[in-house]
Parts: sequence; C-alpha cells; structure tokens
Amino acid sequence: MSEAKDFNHETHPDWCPGCGDFGLLQALKKTYPLLNLNPHDLMTVSGIGCSSNLPGFINTYGMHTLHGRSLPIAQGFKLGNHKMTVVAVGGDGDGYGIGVGHLVHAMRRNVDITYLVMNNEIYGLTTGQTSPTSDLGMKTKSTPFGNPEVPINPLTLALASGCGFVARVYTGHIPQLVEILKKAIEHQGFALVDTFSPCVTFNKVNTHEYFKTNTVDIQKEGHDPSDIYAAYKQATRTDKIATGIFYQNVRSCYEATEEETLAEPLYRHKLGLTEEEQAKLCAEFI
Amino acid sequence: MSQKKESIVVRIAGAAGDGIASAADVFGRICARQGLHVTAYNSYQSAIRGGHVWYQLNIGSQKTLSHGEAPDVAILLNRTSPAVHIPQIKKGGVVLYNSSIIPDDLSSLRKDLTYYGLPFRELVKDPGVIAVMANTMLIGSLVQLLNLNPQVGLDFLSEEFTRKGDKVIQLNQLVFNTGVDWIKKNGKSLELQLNGDGIKRMLLNGNHAFGMGLLAHGLKFYAAYPMSPATGILHYLAQKAKSHKMVIKQTEDELAAINFVIGAAHAGVRAACATSGGGFSLMVEAVGLAGMMEEPIVVINVQRGGPSTGIPTKQEQGDLNLLLGASHGEFPRIILAPKDITDAFHTAGRALNLAEKYQTPVLILSDLYLSESFRTTEPFKVTLPIERGKVQTEAGSDYKRFLITEDGVSPRLIPGAPNGMYVSASDEHDEKGIVISDVLAGLPASLEIRNKIQAKRMKKLEVARTEDMQLPTVSGPEKADLTLLGWGSTYDAIEEACQILNANGHKVNHLHFTDLFPMPEGVHELLKNCKEIIGVENNFTSQMCRLIRAETSYHVQRTINRYDGEPFTGEDIANRIKKEMTHV
Repeated sequence: MSEAKDFNHETHPDWCPGCGDFGLLQALKKTYPLLNLNPHDLMTVSGIGCSSNLPGFINTYGMHTLHGRSLPIAQGFKLGNHKMTVVAVGGDGDGYGIGVGHLVHAMRRNVDITYLVMNNEIYGLTTGQTSPTSDLGMKTKSTPFGNPEVPINPLTLALASGCGFVARVYTGHIPQLVEILKKAIEHQGFALVDTFSPCVTFNKVNTHEYFKTNTVDIQKEGHDPSDIYAAYKQATRTDKIATGIFYQNVRSCYEATEEETLAEPLYRHKLGLTEEEQAKLCAEFI
Repeated sequence: MSQKKESIVVRIAGAAGDGIASAADVFGRICARQGLHVTAYNSYQSAIRGGHVWYQLNIGSQKTLSHGEAPDVAILLNRTSPAVHIPQIKKGGVVLYNSSIIPDDLSSLRKDLTYYGLPFRELVKDPGVIAVMANTMLIGSLVQLLNLNPQVGLDFLSEEFTRKGDKVIQLNQLVFNTGVDWIKKNGKSLELQLNGDGIKRMLLNGNHAFGMGLLAHGLKFYAAYPMSPATGILHYLAQKAKSHKMVIKQTEDELAAINFVIGAAHAGVRAACATSGGGFSLMVEAVGLAGMMEEPIVVINVQRGGPSTGIPTKQEQGDLNLLLGASHGEFPRIILAPKDITDAFHTAGRALNLAEKYQTPVLILSDLYLSESFRTTEPFKVTLPIERGKVQTEAGSDYKRFLITEDGVSPRLIPGAPNGMYVSASDEHDEKGIVISDVLAGLPASLEIRNKIQAKRMKKLEVARTEDMQLPTVSGPEKADLTLLGWGSTYDAIEEACQILNANGHKVNHLHFTDLFPMPEGVHELLKNCKEIIGVENNFTSQMCRLIRAETSYHVQRTINRYDGEPFTGEDIANRIKKEMTHV
C-alpha cells in the first residue's frame, strides 16, 4: 500500500508560487494510493514546458522528453511494458500546438495511457505568447493587437477523434480532480483530461478566480457520460465552463489487438531464433 | 552476340502496372533454382500506372557483381517501350514481345537485332486466360531462348499458384509452355554457357535482409511511416509480426515512429525504425534525444535521390553528412553502411548489439540500390550472439542511471524495479537524472556536472572507435597503381570495375568502408600507403572523402561521382577510370 508521501520527490517544483500545476501534482499524489499504485508501477512522460517539468517533481519512473513528442514516447513505452501505468503530462502548447498531430492519432489508436494537459491558455516558459487555446482577441506578447485565431476546443477534438475518455477539470478543485484522475487512469484505453491550470505570471484573464467563478461540474447537473451528443453540447456550451467527465465508452484498447504478442510484456520476451526458425525464414526466398 | 557467354543481361520493360516486377521475380527465381547467380535492379518511377519501368537481371554461372549495362535480351511489354529500349540493346541482341499488343514492325528501329514477336491472342485461346498472362508466355520463351530447364519454371508456377487452385496452375503452365514451344518451333536458343552449380540460393533484396536481420537478432518493436525505398522493411516485418511476436507499428509520421522506438527501447525492448532521407530529416531531433537520454535505438536510412523530394525512386549516397550532423549539440553516434545484402543481415544484428552496448543511437546507411535490388544470396546464419550490455532489472536505492564510469556506459535499469525510480531527461542532468538545466543552470556545481556528464557520454565514441569500429577492407593486388575508395552499397560494382581494369592490364585494388563513424584508428596509415586513390561515390560532393579528410587529414584529391540517380556498375566505373587515367 502506498501513501501520498511516497510520491514526494527530493526536488522542489520550480513553478511560480500559485501556479495551477501544483494542484495537479498534489492530486496525482493523492490519486495513486487510491488505485494501489506504487511509485515503481508508474511511468510519467512529459514533453517540454513548465508543466512538463512535472516528472522531475514526483517519485515515479519518468521521461522528460521533447516538445510535442510525449505521446509517441509514452505509447512506445506502454507497448514495451504494458504492465506499468503510463501517465503523460504536458501543457497546451505541447499537446494542442506542436504535438496536436500525435494527440489526434493517439486518441484514435487507443493505447491505454492517460494524458493530462495542464492548459493555461498561454505560453508560460517562453514568457507569454499566444497558445492554441488562447481566447480570440487575447493580447499577448506575440499578439499585441489581439489573438486573431479561434482557440482549439480540445474536448470536441477528442470526441471527433474517437477518444474513449474525455474530461476537463480545474486544478484548484482537488476532490473533483482526484475523482476524475482515478477514473481516467482506470479507463482501459486512451484518456484525455484537459485541466485548467492557471498561469499566475502571464495569463491575467484565465485566473484562479476566473475558473472558480465560471466553472460548473456537469456530473452534479446529471450529465450522462455515455451520451456523445450530450458531451458535444456540454463541450460547446457558453453559459458556463463545463467540467467533469464528458464522455466515456468501453471500446477495447489497442493492446487487446496484440493479445497474443502481449501475453507477456514485450520487454520480457525471449530473444533470437533457433537455427530451424532461421532456416525457415530463408527458405521463403528460395 | 559473342559465343558461349557465361552471363547474360535481360531487361523486362513496360509501363507501371504491366506486372514487370512479378515477371522478373518468376524469371529470377527460376534462374536461382538452377543454381545460377542473379543480380536484378528495378528501375521504376513514382507512378502507380504508366510511365516507363524496367527490371534488369544479370544472370551468370559465376556471381554477377552488378545488374549490367546494356541488355543482351529484352522483353518488351507495351507499345511505347520499343522506342525507349531497342536503341540500348547490345549489338546482335534479341527482343521478345507480344505481337498482339505490339503489332509494329520493330526491325525498322534496328537491323542487327533478332525479333521474336509471339501473338498471344492467337496462341492461347483458353477462355480463362487474362491479359497479364502474356508475361508468363514471354518468360517461357525466354527460358527456352536461354536454354534453361523449363521444368523448373513449371514447378515454380505450381508452387506460386497453389492457393489459387489447380485450374489456375494448369492455365499458367499452359501459357508458359506456349512460350517455350514457340521458340522451339520458330526461334533458336542462344549459344550460352549458363551452368548452374545446383546450390539453391535465396533471391531477395536488402530490405528483406534488414528485416530478417533485425528479427533474427531480437527485434521486438518496429515503427515506420511508409517511404520509398525503406518501406520494404516495414512490409517484411509486418508480415512476421504475429508469427514472431513483435509489435510492428505504422505511425502517423516519422517523428512519431522514432519517438515510439525511443519509448519502447526505454522499456527494455530491442527497437528500430527505418525511413529514407526526408523521413530521417524529420527524425533528427529525436536522434539527439536518444543520445542525451542514452537510449539504445537503431535507425536505418535508406537513401534515395535528394534533396527534398528529389528523385524518390532513384539511387544516391547523399545522406552521410545528414547522419553525421543529425541533431543539434554533441553526442555519440555510430554510423554503419553495409556493403551488400549479406552484410545488411549481419549489420542489423550488430547495430542492435552496439546500440545496447553503448546506449546510444546506431544509424545504418543503406540506399535504394542495396535495399531494393534482388540478389542470389546464400541463406543467412546468425553468427553474432545477442549481447545486451549493461542492463539490469533490479536496483538499490542508491541507483544512478547516468553513473560516471570508465567506458562512459552506465548501468541501465529497466523501469519497473522497486527502489530504482529515475527520470531520463532531454535536459542536461546529473548522474541520478536530476535536471541541472533550470534553477541550477550556470551555478558553479552545475558547471562541473555538465563537464563530467558530457565527457562521460562522449567517452563512448572513443571506446567504440577502438573496440568496435572496423577498418576498411582492402581487396585486389596489394601493391596497386591505383586504389578505388568506396563505401556502403557500391562494393560489388567497384569489385567488378577492378576485375575489368585488371583484366585490361591495369593494377587496381579496392578499399572499402562499412564502419563510417567513429572512424577507427589506422585509416590514415592505410591511405598513406596507397600510390594513388580515386574516391568513388554515388553523390555530388564526395561526402565520404570529406569525412576522411576531417578525421584523418588525408585528402583524397580525385573522385568519381555519379548523381544522375542511377547506381554504378563495374563497366561504368571502369570506363570513367579509363578516362581519368588519360587525363593524368
């Protein structure tokens, strides 16, 4: 049995005081023991950005990789050792900007990993430029006259891409976050959790106060996550910012298609061929 | 045509979609099964239907070292091919064609050739027959023309069509025999000494050899995005995925392919990917990631004509510079360039071993010619045991993933062990993996760590240079007046050139590189002892000669470069050398 403190790392996060990412880190440490996961059962994979520093602040196995490439690496790792729980983390620039191509394919491929996007609607580590989720008209250092592009809606993108678990939550709402993380990790297949994780330094619009005021928990409103059309409606509503589990289905995950090969984790397979097997391969060309 | 030749060059030409590749395969396999040697080159275009496509096969009693220059015999399959190919046929050569498709009087094009037009529609009236079977008839006529054993052809067809049932087998055999009988009745077999030695060899290409080599040496994960001329490896492995329990993934792009491979390698799986130059360009950032995180990955770059989309179905050795400089910053890499199909098989295994020994990317340079041309090859036997280097599955709490060691290689813990948790980062990090790039960057302690950890990684290069990199091979007369210097797939063509030149009274030998980087000690010594060197490269800028100069200070001043998209043949090189010599 693990406890939250088992996941504490000797390195203290270098995030700005008040950064929304602290909420996710705290929630992860609370969630893993609820799932009976030990530090060595977990692989945390990230890309590049403030939020992608997270693997260095939590005591699990980790890979802190390239900007936008966390998902291919996480999927490759999972296929190599599917007995470990793989959690990919990163920011909106990482996941919805430079890495959005991989995201779409990861969702339809459905490898059993959980992807947590700390979405602050701004580029923080590069000191405040527009992001793929910045609001239309938002003034940033790279859009001093207002962002001329409409933001990506990660939820409808996920629904359209065949994602089997689609959720959104504000990182300041820890109990709701823990509940969603637990279900996302338990979900057998690719799970996307878009988290509002405010950047206290560079985003003066989408603040903690903003999310506290404007979000609503759709589970409390009785939303049925098996209804994909209702999920689209929730994801596009304008009266409030919907949070909660928008959609969940029970499509079998990618690993199931490789059932025989993955009866044993790939990394544990015996390597090499017998002389007979080798001769048989050659005979095909004679 | 000269009498009693021991080899013959056959060209099968038509449009894409005419079934040329399968006709060439049938004919090549018939030759191989008689113990003849075959070298076959597919000259194709980036089109699915139409255009001009041809397969050229050099068949010999002895090993044929290239696909040959001008053909002795041509099979022409469509009406546009005579104008293209008839001018190229050797003097006194033979043309076989289907006169139901090509009704024209071809003799007006050249008088010195023998023309055998077989009227397929008149000869074969069976209602089950389809147009593409005319190819089988022409192969039958070719077999008879070359005086090969038709029974081998009939047996092959019987095996080839087993799944389609007796009716299809019988029909194909009937059509094949029609071609054989037509030549018996209306033509004359050539006077040849094509004697097989009875040894059954494989007929396969370099991509098959890479695929089989990876599989035989423990590959468990492979990812790729389709790109000619590397796709053959994906096709081979995909077909073997279930029977040999591998995960073979087509990914959304090359960035995903290499990063999947890094993820799988990190999990402790032998993993590789392959692509061509354009795809490799996309992979470049991740090559550096593998260097920084010390991940054992193998990447095969099957070169084609560049730059950019270039001439995608044609030959070039243009990517050596790309591999040498792939990714920003400095990290150790190993670059190997196998010289032929057998070497491709063994190099695949060697690369997997070296990647795990040094925990760093191993890059293999192939090219269209090596990867896609078919050769008769003795069946492969694994000679290299699988060696996985410093890998462990258990660790104490003091485990350091990037421990500084004598040889620069740290103990590699497969994730999952209790107590061993570590993070591998693309950021610079200390021995434990803690990043020093953010709040510690530039502080005095970090400067020292950076120096030590960078030196540790780079140490692998020096160890590999002395322990694993092999010197170039030297073949031919020891004291030669001229040495031809090559690398990778040009090996056989340069050997053939040496044979031609030496038969003409010259004294030429051949120095050939397969281990390109890090360059082993002793290369300068070898080069210094040569009287005169000409570099032979399938590129414009003599990239290997530049590397040699950078690494050894030896300046190879004279070069022969071919960059028109075609591979070298011995005859081609020999002709260019003769010209070079008159310039001396």
